[in-house]
Amino acid sequence: MVSEHIASLQPIAWHEPRDSYDVVIIGGGGHGLSTAYYLATRHGITNVAVVEVDYIASGNTGRNTTIIRSNYAIPEAIRFYDHSRQLYAGLEAETGAAIFHRVKGHVWIAHTEMGMRTERGRVLMNQAMGVDTELLGPADVKRLVPQVDLTGAGRYAVLGASHHVPAATARHDRVAWAFASGASSRGVHLIQHRPVTGLLRDGDRVVGVETAAGPIRAGVVLSAVGGWVSQVAAMARIRLPVRTHPLHAFVTNDFEQGLDKIVASTELACYVSQTERGQMLIGAEFDSQPSFSRLSSFDALRSYAYKISALLPFLRSMRILRTWAGLCDISADFSPIMGETGVDGFLITTGWGTWGFKAIPAGGEAMAELIATGRTPGLIAPFGLDRFRHDLAMADQASAGTR
Amino acid sequence: MTDAPAEVAGRIVVDGRPIEFADGDSVAVAIVRTGEVPGHGGCLCLAGDCGNCLAEVDGVAYVRTCQVAARPGTVVVRHPAGGKPQLPVVDWRDLTLMPVGSKIAVRRTEADVAVIGGGSSGQSAVEAARSAGRDVLLLDARDGSEVVGIYPGPSIVARDPGGMLHVRADEIVVATGSVEIQPACPGSDLGGIVTAGAAERLEAAGVDLGRVVHVGRELLRFEGDAGRVSAVVTVGMDATETTTPCETAVVDLGRAPRDVLARMSRAEGVSAVGPAAEDQPLPAPPRDGVVCPCMGTTVDDLEAAWDQGYTDLELLKRASWAGLGPCQGGACLPHVRSWIAARTSGPPPAPFTARPAARQITLAEAAADVAIDAFRRTPLHDEHLTLGARMDRFGGWWRPWHYGDAVAEYWAVREGVSVGDVSTLGKLVVSGPDVVEALERIYPCHVADIKPGRSRYALLLNERGHVMDDGMILRDAETRFTLTFTSGGAANAEMWLRDWIQTWGLRVHVMDRTMSLAAINVTGPLVKTLLARLGLEDAPRFLGHIRAEIAGVPCHVMRLSFTGETAFELHHPLDGSVALWRALMDAGRDLGVRPHGLQALFGLRLEKGHVIVGMDTELDTTPRRLGMDWAVRMEKPAFIGRASLERTAKLDDSRRWVGFSMDGEAPTEGSPIRSVENGEIIGNVTGSWTSPLLRKALMLGWQRRTPFADRVEIDGREAVVTPTPFYDPEGHRARA
Repeated sequence: MVSEHIASLQPIAWHEPRDSYDVVIIGGGGHGLSTAYYLATRHGITNVAVVEVDYIASGNTGRNTTIIRSNYAIPEAIRFYDHSRQLYAGLEAETGAAIFHRVKGHVWIAHTEMGMRTERGRVLMNQAMGVDTELLGPADVKRLVPQVDLTGAGRYAVLGASHHVPAATARHDRVAWAFASGASSRGVHLIQHRPVTGLLRDGDRVVGVETAAGPIRAGVVLSAVGGWVSQVAAMARIRLPVRTHPLHAFVTNDFEQGLDKIVASTELACYVSQTERGQMLIGAEFDSQPSFSRLSSFDALRSYAYKISALLPFLRSMRILRTWAGLCDISADFSPIMGETGVDGFLITTGWGTWGFKAIPAGGEAMAELIATGRTPGLIAPFGLDRFRHDLAMADQASAGTR
Repeated sequence: MTDAPAEVAGRIVVDGRPIEFADGDSVAVAIVRTGEVPGHGGCLCLAGDCGNCLAEVDGVAYVRTCQVAARPGTVVVRHPAGGKPQLPVVDWRDLTLMPVGSKIAVRRTEADVAVIGGGSSGQSAVEAARSAGRDVLLLDARDGSEVVGIYPGPSIVARDPGGMLHVRADEIVVATGSVEIQPACPGSDLGGIVTAGAAERLEAAGVDLGRVVHVGRELLRFEGDAGRVSAVVTVGMDATETTTPCETAVVDLGRAPRDVLARMSRAEGVSAVGPAAEDQPLPAPPRDGVVCPCMGTTVDDLEAAWDQGYTDLELLKRASWAGLGPCQGGACLPHVRSWIAARTSGPPPAPFTARPAARQITLAEAAADVAIDAFRRTPLHDEHLTLGARMDRFGGWWRPWHYGDAVAEYWAVREGVSVGDVSTLGKLVVSGPDVVEALERIYPCHVADIKPGRSRYALLLNERGHVMDDGMILRDAETRFTLTFTSGGAANAEMWLRDWIQTWGLRVHVMDRTMSLAAINVTGPLVKTLLARLGLEDAPRFLGHIRAEIAGVPCHVMRLSFTGETAFELHHPLDGSVALWRALMDAGRDLGVRPHGLQALFGLRLEKGHVIVGMDTELDTTPRRLGMDWAVRMEKPAFIGRASLERTAKLDDSRRWVGFSMDGEAPTEGSPIRSVENGEIIGNVTGSWTSPLLRKALMLGWQRRTPFADRVEIDGREAVVTPTPFYDPEGHRARA
């Protein structure tokens, strides 16, 4: 079984780093790697380096709960995330890499009238945008998720849900590696364990990065950094409307497949899906207290364990294999920030918070197009940093994480 | 080598078959005593380190059977060979489902020093701390204290036979010692292989191991028959192979640090001592066979992943799965590091990190004793239930959604008199010499000119000029005000006020009375008749407020209106609430009084075009976008949000919250609003109500495209932008 799994690995090529590239991408997570991949495959730009402080996908890409969905509540977000969902659906065919993409459906449960109001609105807006999301009553929820306790342990009765039919999961490492493989085999350099310590400037223009092992010059620098993005932006003298908050998640041991759907609850602020290995993968809302700590919190674990097992009592007797935390770059309006920064030569893709995994293909594709053409694609135009200056937030908090 | 215990202490059931155990047996030892293995092969350590004795015990899968004492009636089910356990199935008749985890005790304790591990390094740490006069807690796995993890604090979460144990300590010493290195060679996944330590334990328990062969670093491979070891093949200095038949192979390959906890905890105040912190020589690089017994990763697998470029310990771990199983790399890590060192002809890589759980717990154990999400109840909760209310959680409170007939409740307000429980409103009393200055800075409206006995509606803005909350400012006296806030926003508003007042260093006291005062909203054209019967002779005029006794209950009577009809909010002490409510219901019987729930209230307010912060607003909602510039006094020199409003006032007016109306039934809240010209989605409906009085669909919602449209499409129908209030635009009824 392991050998089968390994047989489907795509090769990653490692190159001797140079001291100058057309494009330097800071951050070897999903967004950095997918941008490099699309630069190489869509635009033939391969003189590119991805500079990673640790190993590739060591940050939020390798820590997230791998849900791919487009059931947002504002048209701009629905359009963007649904495009990403479609790219994901075709990614195995395009790259030849096994990413364990599985369409499961996302059942977003509501326990209050206000929760139902949110789900009804979501369904109508999704359908208006051509996205397959339907409203469920409690009996429908029980039919799709037989394990659910409709009384919510006597505390969180299920009033209904929205069901986003095409929602999927994919193995997070495999997604990152698919892009790493596709990019590196075309000549993109992946440079691991290389902290970026500063930016090289020529006047007002950013012309490269300073690293622990010396400078690397670049035509364009893209920050695709997660939790530490405010530090990188500060190197460019940009103050971002982003705060870093830890997010905790955990998995159980491996079991035979049996939970078909992705199940989420806004009020309980948690969600669960079963991985291809058979683990129950459980995530929650980010910590309200900003912090850069990636240490696990037992308080978080016990609260999520309580809530998710109130909804799905079969989880109670399952043992927890591992818990961990990631650092989320939470933007002021719970939507991503992509594109120009106002600093020449320095682009950014950030504000991915708890919702960045699903956006890896579309985010990378759009950033690659911007780098290659110098024009911001329409798909991401509403998500520019300057929207805050113009007071045009893309506020969609009810769709972002769980709240 | 099947061996019945000399003295039978009881029976456990393994895969449906009873087996006998001796006093002191763990489940694993009891199973080995029968000549079988608890898992599906692999070397047993019987010390809680490896994953080779995992089985389902009493309904919990992935339990290390060597760490569970055999008790009469213990039910053990082996995990399927080559497969995984099925998901647990819930017995829906099991009442312990509610509340979650209730049967598991949680004990909390503190110590100056907590020492994990009672071996020689642990004992030294205990003695050193005790002789320094410090209070020491020793957690020893051999006494059943299994440490799940070390957390910031520092603190420890452990499971022991009494339940869950949470420990807070000034200092934590990890003295977990060392583990015996597992074999990683062909045949190492056979049954009948034990470590030297495990062999000692089994012999001490009187288990007959049959023909035993001891083997060390000369080990080449195991040979087997029907899943059990039948011979050990060793290689001599001269490279000759020797095959020794056996029934049990006892392996001694040296030791490695037992460092899962040490690798987990970088928290301040945590240190590792003794063998747990010491580098040990790595085993010889594995050449063939299973390296990671938990996941089944072989040397060939490592090789294959490495060849594909996964040449970093962390990447190799994720690509090959070695170390991803229940023992967290305890078994495979020394082998994988040794293998990488050999592969690269370099030094071994640093070990990968470990994360909780070092010893696993169930979700129920994690959730034990959780007391969270206390939904608040008003003192009138039982009254609502008696009146047949359907209760719903809203803004952190249980509130009546309706009492069976929201439309009848609506009519009671519009044509008669009705009562509503508004105890959930945020209620702050602020006083002190600087109170006017503080409120002038906090609110965008004027405050100083509110006379005692009068009140004013106010928005609460953040620094970005976005609406955070709204409520009333009521002046009680020269230096004393009552402030109200929305139910859901009250806690935040209180923090907000305290934070700013402290920041500014102003002399203002803030007293939160949200939980100590109840409030009943009495509203409708007949309200004055009703209140007069209960003793309110001189009702205050609109936006006035007085103290008065109503039905014998001391009330702060506030004249305002959210419903659009004459309304009085009666704020009063909790203990008078039921009496006041009942008095209102009794005295108003002939007036047709009935209570109204949230559903009717939302319709009533919608007809008036009143905003509900949180339901109608977004994170970037300015007063201008709400059409509420009248609530902002830019002539004031300073208030929170003023600088932002000054800046955003110069931007295009790009989003607007307005009223819409159309014939027929109201559409669903949240419906998209489309352009009649091109069908493009230009906004969404935030409030929607079929007005029984106006006999049409009324909506509130956002337009997010300019130029703003006069006609739009909602729910496939044409709706027209309509000025609000839809009902009684001059406000005569509220002032009546």
